[in-house]
Amino acid sequence: MPPDAHESTPAARGVHDLGGASGWGRIPYQPDEPPFHADWERRVFGLLGAVTSATARRPGEFRYALERLHPNDYFDNGYYGRWLAGFEVLLDEYEVFDLVDLALRVSVRTDQALGDITQASPALRVAPVADRVPSMLPPDRPVPAPQRRTVRRDLAEPPRFSTGDRVVAPTPTQPGHTRLPGYVTDKPGTVAKLHPAEVLPDSTAHNRGERPQHVYCVGYDARTLWGDDAEPNATVYVDLYECYLTAAQSD
Amino acid sequence: MHDDHGHGHHHGEHDHGRHAASSPEVRVEALEDLLVERGLADRERIDATIQRFEHDIGPMIGARLVAEAWADAGLRRRLLTDADAVVADMDIRGAEIEHIEVKANEPGVHNVVVCTLCSCYPWALLGLPPNWYKSPEYRARVVREPRVVLAEMGLDLEADTELRVWDSSSETRFLVLPERPAGTEGWSVERLAELVTRDSMIGVARVTDPGGR
Repeated sequence: MPPDAHESTPAARGVHDLGGASGWGRIPYQPDEPPFHADWERRVFGLLGAVTSATARRPGEFRYALERLHPNDYFDNGYYGRWLAGFEVLLDEYEVFDLVDLALRVSVRTDQALGDITQASPALRVAPVADRVPSMLPPDRPVPAPQRRTVRRDLAEPPRFSTGDRVVAPTPTQPGHTRLPGYVTDKPGTVAKLHPAEVLPDSTAHNRGERPQHVYCVGYDARTLWGDDAEPNATVYVDLYECYLTAAQSD
Repeated sequence: MHDDHGHGHHHGEHDHGRHAASSPEVRVEALEDLLVERGLADRERIDATIQRFEHDIGPMIGARLVAEAWADAGLRRRLLTDADAVVADMDIRGAEIEHIEVKANEPGVHNVVVCTLCSCYPWALLGLPPNWYKSPEYRARVVREPRVVLAEMGLDLEADTELRVWDSSSETRFLVLPERPAGTEGWSVERLAELVTRDSMIGVARVTDPGGR
């Protein structure tokens, strides 16, 4: 692959980027469904703070670990199964423990061989953290340090776009973490509102600095997104970081 | 690859040894033991976190906000324009409410919330999300065919109702202010709050009137 291939090749959509994906069936809806269905889900939830304190402390980093999972590890055991797989990945990547340490404690509870348990770890089939080329990120800018732990930042620079502006988010060319859903890329939308500015997860998840951005709520007419299949009278609103956006050609 | 998600993924295709070895029950027990042994986790703190999210933090917090807004037009206006200030005034704190936007259902306008990229949800207002909200089915379909999805979930909308789907892709979190049902005039905030369901604040259900219709 030529060194500048990332300039022209669209990055593949990840396993998690589900908006608009076809082939999914009925919603598994139960009114008033409880948040947990098994005790192991409670334990996974309860461990989130301990695991992320020891590993993924930057905004977007835990999400990106889940996005890098093998599709089986992402889907097989639902939301908390995905978290558990992500915990193993992060604890391994941050070298908090060795996979054999975990396998030892699994093996005392099952009749399985240590090697088989280790080989089955999601950490052995996770995609690596993609190299994020800093020159393709927006410049970092100094902002006042917040008083509390928050992703919000006060930006001195005014926002580039205003309510009512027509904008387009081109398809990313660099692989890695982003909060730009694939189904809105290259489609024109209209800025509906500004949200508070935030650090850029595309950068923080890759340890490339905060690079805070204005955040826009952009409305997309369903017909723009889905063409003739679209339902009438529907708008999808997506929150997008300023560096994702360019001005739309007038249409 | 993208359009193959649904067709290409079949449970049980992978080898059975892997599946047995990675039973989540066993894996999380082993992981917890290891973290506790290394001093990185504390069982009492884990138990307390679970307790808090099962008993103290839940839809009743959002329901109270909704009921207050139904009962007080001034508060309703503030909630729709500056929910962060209302949430701060009511001393509601916690995870996943960095910035809150409240979207009002009205005659002719219906709002529904999703997070297509993961499962973002206003924890401190609604507690932890139900499985259906986090399911790939909901995440994939509600942006593409919201009316069909809502009908499937038991919510039929008028053909001319405008649908607004909010995809939670930044740290902003959304709460739907459902329509106040008829027949509740003069009710106290407490009594109103009991009518408000979690699913109505996500936008997949109505608040039914006291007659249960």
